[in-house]
Amino acid sequence: MSQVEVMNGNRAAGIAACLARPDVIAAYPITPQSSVVEFISRMIAEDKLDAKICEVESEHSAMSVLEGASLAGGRTFSATSSQGLALMYEPYFRASTLRLPIVMAIANREMISPQTLWASAQDSLSVRDAGWMQFYVEDNQEILDTLLQAFRIAEDSRVLLPINVCYDGFYLSHMSERVVVPDPEEVDAFLPDGYHPQHILLDPDRPMAVDPLTNGDLLTEYRAKHLAAQQAALEVIEQVDAKFSAAFGRSWDGAVEAYRIDGDCEAVVVTLGSMTGAGREAVDRMRESGASVGLLKLRVVRPFPAKEVRELLRGIPAVGVVDRNVSFGWDTGIIYQEVSSALYGVQGTARVPMIAGLGGQDITVEMFEDALRTLLERGRAGSACSPEFPETIWLSQDGEEETR
Amino acid sequence: MSILNRLSAPDMISPGISACVGCNVELTLRTVMRIVGPNSVLAIPPGCMGGVGVVGWDKLSGARVPVFFPLLTNTASMLSGIRLAYDRQGKVNTHVVAFAGDGASVDAGFQALSGAAERNDRILYVCYDNEGYMNTGYQRSAATPKGAWTSTTPHGKLQIKKDTPRIMADHRIPYVATCSPAYIPDLVTKVEKAMANRDGFSYLHVLTPCVSGWGFPPEESIEVCRSSVQTRYFPLYEVDHGRYRITVDVPKPRPLSEYVGRLKKFSRTTEAELAEMELLVKQQWQELRALERVGGEHIDG
Repeated sequence: MSQVEVMNGNRAAGIAACLARPDVIAAYPITPQSSVVEFISRMIAEDKLDAKICEVESEHSAMSVLEGASLAGGRTFSATSSQGLALMYEPYFRASTLRLPIVMAIANREMISPQTLWASAQDSLSVRDAGWMQFYVEDNQEILDTLLQAFRIAEDSRVLLPINVCYDGFYLSHMSERVVVPDPEEVDAFLPDGYHPQHILLDPDRPMAVDPLTNGDLLTEYRAKHLAAQQAALEVIEQVDAKFSAAFGRSWDGAVEAYRIDGDCEAVVVTLGSMTGAGREAVDRMRESGASVGLLKLRVVRPFPAKEVRELLRGIPAVGVVDRNVSFGWDTGIIYQEVSSALYGVQGTARVPMIAGLGGQDITVEMFEDALRTLLERGRAGSACSPEFPETIWLSQDGEEETR
Repeated sequence: MSILNRLSAPDMISPGISACVGCNVELTLRTVMRIVGPNSVLAIPPGCMGGVGVVGWDKLSGARVPVFFPLLTNTASMLSGIRLAYDRQGKVNTHVVAFAGDGASVDAGFQALSGAAERNDRILYVCYDNEGYMNTGYQRSAATPKGAWTSTTPHGKLQIKKDTPRIMADHRIPYVATCSPAYIPDLVTKVEKAMANRDGFSYLHVLTPCVSGWGFPPEESIEVCRSSVQTRYFPLYEVDHGRYRITVDVPKPRPLSEYVGRLKKFSRTTEAELAEMELLVKQQWQELRALERVGGEHIDG
C-alpha cells in the first residue's frame, strides 16, 4: 500500500533513492542538499536500507566513487548542488562518456560570486553539454516519481547514460507538501532487479581494458553513439512515463507538458522547475478574464525535446521564456536560447527572453501575469514588429518590467 | 615458496608496452602484478605507465586483468567505489590495486588518496615515485627533491620533497611501506603483507629512478636504486599497524655524493645544497630509528 506523507523535497529525493535499492551511495553534504545525505545515512545506519555508503571528503570523490562502483556493476546514487557540482565537473563529464547510468539529484542553487545559497538552475544548466540527461521538476511528488523513473531510463539498454533530477533549492528542497510514497514492492516490480551491465564492467572473470588511449576515428564513433543514445532517450522517457503511469496512476507527460495551450492561444510562457506552479495560476487567472494564454513546462533539457517544443509553440503569436539563470554572452537566459533554436525558421512567433528569480528571489503569480500581458501586446503587434534579437525583460516583484 | 618461485607466476602485463630501456617502473609493475595475480583490478592513472600503454591502445588491452584509466585526480576514490561494489557482491578476495605515479598521488590525486586512507578503505595503493612528471617532459612535482633540475625548475627546485610515506603512516592506516626495485625480496614481502591486510588501506611507496628524466645510463638503473638505499637517501621501512621497522638496515651508509653524483638532475647542485641534503638524510634516518624504538602496542584495525 502506498502511503501519503508530508515531506520536503530532500526527503522525497532520499526516499526515492532508497526505494530504488542502490548498491552504493556517495555524496558530500552541501546546502541546500545536505538532508538528502543525512536521510540516506540514517536509513543505512538503522538497517532500513541494505546498501554501501561512502563518506567522501569532497564531491569530486563522490562522483569518482560512484564511477568505480558503477564500473564494478553497482546501482549508484548521489546528490549535490552548485559549487559541489562545479567541483565534481571532471568526473561528472566522464560519467557520461563512460556511459555509466548514475542517478544524481541536484538541489539547484546559484553559482557564486557574490556569495549566495539560494535557488537558480545556473549550476546544472551550466553543465548541460556534459553528456548527462537532465530533468527539471515542479514539486515534491515529481521529485520522488521522476527519480524512480530516472533509474529505469538511465539503465535502459538503448540509453545507458547518467541522469540528473534537478529541483529548486529551498523552494522544493525545504518546502513541505503532500507526497504519495509508493509501496516498496510496487517499486521493485517497476524497476529492474539491480543493474547488470554488459557494455562496460570491471570483472576479473572477463578482463576488460576501460579507456585505452583511443584514436580520433574511434572516439568519433563513441561520440556519435552517445548523441544517438540521447535521442533514443526521448522515446524511452515517454515509454517509462507511460509504464509509470500504469503502475502508479501518475503521469508526468514525458519531456514536455503543455498547460492550456490550444489553437486560439495568443501567448505562452515557457517555464522550468518550481516556478511552474505560479505560472499555472497566472494562466488560470488570465483565462478567467478572457485572455487566451497557456504555459509550456519544459521537464527535460537533455535530451532537448526540440520537435515537441517546436510543434507545441508553432503558430503561437508570442512566446516568452522565463529563465531563472543567465547565459553570459547572449544577454538572455539559457533556456531562451534552447527554445529559440527549436523554433528556428518558424514564422509568425514573436520570442521574448525573460529573466526572473535570480539568487532565489520569488517569481510570483503577478510577475507571470505581467509577463503574459506583455506577450499578448507583442503578439498583437505582430512578429514582423518583433526585433530579431529582442532585449531581455527582467521581471520584478514591484511590477516594473525592465530591460537592463 | 621461495621468492624466485613466486616471481615465476604469470606476467600480468603485456609484453608489448613501450617503456624506456632500463625503466624501473615497468620492472616494479610487472613484479607487483606477478605477486598480486589475476584476481584483481588495476587502476593506472595518467602517467608513465598509462603513456606506455598498460591500459591499452585502441581496442587492445595492456594487461591480463581488468585495467582502467582513472583521472589523474581520483585514483583512490574510484577504487573505493569498486571495493564497495565488490564487497556487496561478495568478491572480497578480489584485490583493487592502484599503480600511480607521484603526480597522481602526492600532487593532484592527494586529496582522494588521503580521503580513502582516512576512511581506511581496503585498497592496495602503489605509488611509483620518479620524483616529477616524467611522462610529460620532466616537470617538477611535490616529490621532486630540493636542488634537482626539472623542465620547470631549470635552476634546481627550491623546496624539499614532500615525505608522503610518513604522511600516509600518520593516517594510521594498517600498512605502509617503502620499496625499491633493487631489493626485490623486500618488495615481494611487502606486496604480500599488503595483500594479506584485511584491516584496510595499504600504501606502498616505491622510489623508481628515471633513466630519461634523471639522466643516468640504463644499464646503471638498479645500481642507482641500490645507491638510493645504501646512502640512506631512501630508507626501506614499513609501518605495520603503527609499528615502524627499517626492513633493510644500512649500518654503514655510503656518502650521499655517490648517489647525487651519478644523476644529471643534480649536476648544478652546489656543495652547500649537498650539505643540506646530507643533513636531511641524517635527520630522516634518526627519526625512523626513534620511531622504531617507540614501537608501541600492535594496533589492530
